[in-house]
Amino acid sequence: MKNLSIISLFFIGLLFASCDKETPLPDPQPQPSNTGSIVFKFAHNVNGLALVKDSMMYTNTAGNKYEINEIKYFISDVILHNANGTYYSISNTDKHYVDNDIASTLTWNVGDNIPEGSYDSITFTFGITMAKNISNMFVNAPEIYMAWPEPLGGGYHYLMMNGKWEKAVDTINNFNFHIGIGQTYDGLGNIIGFVDNAFKVKLPASAFSISTSQTRVIQIVMNIESWFNSPIVWDFNIQGENIMQSQSAMSDACKNGADAFSIGYIN
Amino acid sequence: MKLFKYSFLSLVLCLAIVSCKKDEPIPTTTVTNDGPTPYVIQIPKFFPTILNIPADNPMTVEGIELGRYLFYDGRLTGKVDTLMSCATCHHIDKSFENGIGYGYGVTGIQTPHVMLPMINLVFNSSGYFWNGKISASNPNEHNRTLEDVVYLGLTAPHELHSDSVSCKNAIQNIPMYPPMFKKAFGSDVVTFKNIAKAIAQFVRTLISADSKFDRYLRGEAQLNASELKGYMIFNTEKGDCFHCHGTVLFTTNQFYNNATDSVFNDPRDRFAITGDPKDHGAYKATTLRNIELTGPYMRDGRFATLDQVINHYSEGLVWSPYVHPLMKKINDGGIQLTPTEKADLKAFLHTLMDSTFITNPAFKNPF
Ligand code: HEC
Ligand code: HEC
Repeated sequence: MKNLSIISLFFIGLLFASCDKETPLPDPQPQPSNTGSIVFKFAHNVNGLALVKDSMMYTNTAGNKYEINEIKYFISDVILHNANGTYYSISNTDKHYVDNDIASTLTWNVGDNIPEGSYDSITFTFGITMAKNISNMFVNAPEIYMAWPEPLGGGYHYLMMNGKWEKAVDTINNFNFHIGIGQTYDGLGNIIGFVDNAFKVKLPASAFSISTSQTRVIQIVMNIESWFNSPIVWDFNIQGENIMQSQSAMSDACKNGADAFSIGYIN
Repeated sequence: MKLFKYSFLSLVLCLAIVSCKKDEPIPTTTVTNDGPTPYVIQIPKFFPTILNIPADNPMTVEGIELGRYLFYDGRLTGKVDTLMSCATCHHIDKSFENGIGYGYGVTGIQTPHVMLPMINLVFNSSGYFWNGKISASNPNEHNRTLEDVVYLGLTAPHELHSDSVSCKNAIQNIPMYPPMFKKAFGSDVVTFKNIAKAIAQFVRTLISADSKFDRYLRGEAQLNASELKGYMIFNTEKGDCFHCHGTVLFTTNQFYNNATDSVFNDPRDRFAITGDPKDHGAYKATTLRNIELTGPYMRDGRFATLDQVINHYSEGLVWSPYVHPLMKKINDGGIQLTPTEKADLKAFLHTLMDSTFITNPAFKNPF
């Protein structure tokens, strides 16, 4: 009976709300007026040319011939820095998943509350910092497929770059260039600690300005070859093909990845 | 009390309509006392919250109940001599598979692939069948949903080999059904569309989340040493099963070539759907929940036992240009497990057995 009266109240309330057109409900969140919006676009290339997947057409600095089949990663904590030292951090979604095979992930509309002004540079975290990289925070596809096993530190892969490489003439091997939380091992191979491998990326030449009501479209480009060339010359024979349990390889990969991103255009 | 609530609801709705749309005539039917009761799927912890339920077939208690009867009813085909139902092939005690591999249709024709279980399908938005043919992205609008699967199952020569008219007429003429259709869909005229909707609703309730491993995750059960080692093998580079059979569903519902062959001529592989050369010989990495019940394994049932499956991944991989990159150590033949490691991995797979699911009274034959 008590339920019923609550329901009645609700419906009676609805009745009035829906019919009383004279007094509209106040807008719950008045929009700040001096803001613009940003749309990020993601693209993948190899030394300046658009990535061609599934074709053994690339050779890295170490001389390994390779092809790329899949690229999936997270970026998080995007920050727009002002010349005067202040910054604006994009917080409506603090993590974004990019999957080269899913067109919708290649556009990230971060919303329309970017304060107008001139910004010096854009930085972001590649991957997700450990404090925020929480297992099971994603339950739906496609992000859920990035889950990083609990015993290896949990959370999500920062990067899954899957492909093949020519180990020798007539020998094609698979590689899984995967980065996430690293592990430290004792002499017996037991895991005794975890390492946060997420790293900061400062996009070169990323100054821009935005005025009220303006939408800026900013393309972020990942150069695949950058993961393999410097400062560490990546050789699949040395660093390995499957690296999610090799902290030294993941650490090399992260050093290389720091300059893998650049601005394609700012429109 | 419930009746009262509904009449009250109707009253409020009428009032709302009366007071807001004064220039339109008052409708004679609004929500009736017989309106179906909405059914809300209880999503187990960490399971996907995106459910594959078409907007035009909301789940209702009455729809599900009707679907359960139809699923088990041998009279569904309208052919008195056959008495075959969905449950002839999809057995509850085998996780809604048949546990013997291929299915055989009404006329004895073998199904092109071995059976798939019906388990946690409401969480699969990437495609039903081994090759994912039935998905929202299929250009053929009759090949998109579980409702469409019901139609295909009913009509395929290798399955029930009937037609929608015989089916609809048969059900219309069984006295118990028209009132059930009335309750579920508001009319006692049986339509094939509503038959498909009801069965699909039932199928969507078949959720498994109570295996020993689930209970372990909830802190209600303990894994033994061997199971724990198997869990580690599954979830580390050692075995590396998780990349394809990971997450709480124990499947990504994605499609991979897992290195079973070097020649590819199956007209029903993933390539047949996408036309992408990489998808030659690719199939869905099926769920490993209740896997001990659903042998023989792989789309052609080539492995009779889980030991054979584990041997495949350990040393039996076959190289081809189409092998998915997530298949490790392809040129060494596989992940190279020792006999103890194989036993541990198998022990872990057994913890995915959910006996609550296969004995759930709500899923059983209602007749
Ligand atoms: C002759 C045996 C047989 C009968 C009868 C049968 N099925 Fe199936 N079912 C199969 C086989 C075999 C598959 C696997 C098809 C494939 O992918 O090649 C399957 C697949 C399915 C799937 C997809 C599962 C997944 O994970 O993608 C669903 C759902 C299903 N059946 C529902 C039904 C329903 C509902 C009926 C009754 C209308 C029915 N089946 C009747 C043999 C049968
Ligand atoms: C690259 C992705 C991938 C990896 C890694 C992988 N699998 Fe599979 N698995 C598949 C695919 C795809 C199928 C179905 C293939 C087919 O039907 O031919 C499958 C089928 C199976 C089956 C049979 C399922 C059934 O219903 O018939 C079992 C059991 C299995 N895998 C266990 C494992 C185990 C254990 C591991 C780790 C040692 C593993 N898989 C690693 C993709 C993978």
